[in-house]
Amino acid sequence: MNRRIASMLRASQRGLEMWGVIVAFVILFAVSTFNQGFDFLNPENFRALLNSNAPVGILAVGMTLVIISAGIDLSVGSMVVLAAAIGMTTMNSLIDSGTSELNAVMLGGAATIFAGTVAGTFNGVLVVFGRIAPFIATLGGLAAFRSMSLAIADAGEIRSQSATMFSALGRGGVPIPGLLNAAGKPLTLSYSTVIFFVVAIIAQWFLSRSRFGRQLVAVGANETAARYAGISVSWVRLRVYSIMGLLAGIAALVQSSRMNSVSTAQLGLGSELDAIAAVVIGGTTLRGGFGRVWGTVVGVLILGMITNILTISGVSPYWQGAVKGAVIVLAVLVQRSSRE
Amino acid sequence: MNREILVVNSVTVDYPGVRALDAVSLAFRTGEIHAIVGENGAGKSTMMKVLSGVIRPTSGTIMLKGMQRQFTRPSDAIRAGIAMVHQELHLVGTLNVAENVLLGREPTRFLGVAVDHQRQHVVAGALLRQLGSDFDLSTLACDLSIAQQQFVEIAKCLASDARVLIFDEPTAVLGEVEANRLFTVMKRLRDEGRCVIFISHHLDEVISIADRITVLRDGKVVQVFSRNTSGIVQSEDGSIADEGRLAHAMVGHELSSIYPEKVYPTCTSSAIELVNFGAKKKSHGISFSVAAGEILGIAGLVGSGRTETAEALVGIRPCEGVLRVEGREIRFSNPRAAMRSGVAYVSEDRKNRGLHVTLSSICNMMLPSLDKVSRFGGIMIDSHTEQRMTKKWIDAFQIRCARPMQAISSLSGGNQQKFALARWLEARPKVLIIDEPTRGVDVGARGEIYRIITQLAREGLACIVISSELPEVIGIAHRVIVMREGTIAGEISSERLVLKDCQERIVRIASGLSEESVESK
Repeated sequence: MNRRIASMLRASQRGLEMWGVIVAFVILFAVSTFNQGFDFLNPENFRALLNSNAPVGILAVGMTLVIISAGIDLSVGSMVVLAAAIGMTTMNSLIDSGTSELNAVMLGGAATIFAGTVAGTFNGVLVVFGRIAPFIATLGGLAAFRSMSLAIADAGEIRSQSATMFSALGRGGVPIPGLLNAAGKPLTLSYSTVIFFVVAIIAQWFLSRSRFGRQLVAVGANETAARYAGISVSWVRLRVYSIMGLLAGIAALVQSSRMNSVSTAQLGLGSELDAIAAVVIGGTTLRGGFGRVWGTVVGVLILGMITNILTISGVSPYWQGAVKGAVIVLAVLVQRSSRE
Repeated sequence: MNREILVVNSVTVDYPGVRALDAVSLAFRTGEIHAIVGENGAGKSTMMKVLSGVIRPTSGTIMLKGMQRQFTRPSDAIRAGIAMVHQELHLVGTLNVAENVLLGREPTRFLGVAVDHQRQHVVAGALLRQLGSDFDLSTLACDLSIAQQQFVEIAKCLASDARVLIFDEPTAVLGEVEANRLFTVMKRLRDEGRCVIFISHHLDEVISIADRITVLRDGKVVQVFSRNTSGIVQSEDGSIADEGRLAHAMVGHELSSIYPEKVYPTCTSSAIELVNFGAKKKSHGISFSVAAGEILGIAGLVGSGRTETAEALVGIRPCEGVLRVEGREIRFSNPRAAMRSGVAYVSEDRKNRGLHVTLSSICNMMLPSLDKVSRFGGIMIDSHTEQRMTKKWIDAFQIRCARPMQAISSLSGGNQQKFALARWLEARPKVLIIDEPTRGVDVGARGEIYRIITQLAREGLACIVISSELPEVIGIAHRVIVMREGTIAGEISSERLVLKDCQERIVRIASGLSEESVESK
């Protein structure tokens, strides 16, 4: 009898590990609905929730892959600001030199993504060839990349020279058929949200179905065993940091086009913590070797909803960090207790 | 005058599928050096783990100074006065000698707030002098030689006033001069009335310094020798213990029938050839060649450089010398390159290197051959093909595995080992190096693994089997090389391999007793 209860408990703990993030999401959803009623259930609210969390979401997807490889990237926020600063400077100087606005916007966007990828690859080179622990290597990046972008703009704001074209990406969206907003216009799903979901779906596919995904999990679970199995560990790790950089570049593009300017002191500040938090809440283990992108997506939404609830209930923004911190620690505790 | 200080009463230890110790009863006395010998896997280390509180016996009791004790963790044993000097040393490299000796029991002043460095030096110095060893107490531990580190370890045991000291193969890492100094210290500890337990593979050492010798085989005590008043070591029935007799007691003589019939290779062209090959700093001057269809056994003690040589061969470690695969001179920079040229290595350390224990059987199975099941340049893994391939090996090797998607750690050691073998065979190698093919594998599955290896050789695979279990090497190999101290110490040809005394012969060569056995090649 006792054994039966024990096995049921174990099963429910395994379930908690697997589905805990969904359970948490449902509970939060219910609390929000109970608290705010129609205000929360308003599609406009969801639109805003997704839209505002998409850039961190894109970073969190990359962070999931990095953490599965038993690494970490603390420099993501700084990569975002550096990529955005380089991209916008490129675009502005092209416009100033008389290039057509369309071309300038395209090239500026490409420069943003390229700069992010280069920065990420640089991290990867430090980790793989410099044999520096990922925590330290990217801690260096956290400081250096932001400092570079501050230097580019003299710690100020870089304003876009493109009046509307550049910001179309960040502000526009795809209309959702059948849904209208308060003003009676069709409700749109922002491009940034679409990009977030597309990135997440591709990453989840790669993780669970591709050769790279298998190698990534193998390297994260046990680097030595992966090497003995004939996997090129360096190549796998280098690639995962490059992908992180690429995604940071995409996040930078989304952010800078939304504001149509880059504030070098503010953009991406602290987003490494949000990204890591979302990954952890989503059930990916920090020691590597196991993870899931869909969990991270739910983790991002959970973090967004917490902020949302706190804001709507009038809790001081100064307290929001404390609540987030508590949620992260709680998520880790739940994971650990179900694993032992 | 020699009281029994530590008594082990019918202790049994069961590991999954293996009985490591089988109702062992032993008594250790004060003022004696008690040696425990046995082959690898005979239960020596398990015995020591029980005594030092690392593992709890399945059944049986331990009496210390006449009181029944149960150790649940190593610190319990240390507090009770049983200390172990490990083969791998556990000093803190960044602390100096005096700090290491008194680690965790620092003399303090100001109500325990500050470490009394002066007294620390005095106390540590006294302990080291007690060992007849005198070196600068302010040297950092990382700057000490291995031998010096060992002395610091022993001093640490003395600091905790250990009455029973266990030395686990202490001379494996020492040169002859250093070893002799260690023996002097061990004798000194004995004369102080402590009990010294000594584990060694070197039978000559054992006979020269031990007061009593217990021989373990297959988890049982098979014989006890003790030194009589005239200083000669003899068994209970009065026969004098020499190295041959010890070796004989260690190995027994039952060669069981789990080994399939040997089919000698007809092909003579070498599949792999080593000339003066070696793993840098670990082995040297190794030359041999293995023909297609041949099974070469490599015997030797743990630490004789067998694994290191194999690892250097497939590019895990830096190597020196010449390596030829099918006549072509080649050198591998990593296991992936080795695999491409048809050389596969199955690691001895299944848990940490050979397999990913947290991943599923199917993942583990396919890891070396992911390229084969990748579609569209790796974007997609063809899960149908993957499952078919895994199923094929499950059937071929009769792997008992209910669900291939389950973590491989849920399988028995034998079934894990079959997957570890199968994953490399899927890559169709020409040379297969298997390190400890049956470590942690239960008896039933052993026979199956031997059959698989023999069958593979019959199909033309050149196999190199590294093993510490002599019956295994003798039972399946066509030819055996014995390694000692990083190089080949002797070779047993196929004609000699069928002789009754070949196991003793290997033990002698491996422990450096008879160099004369280095036969002409």
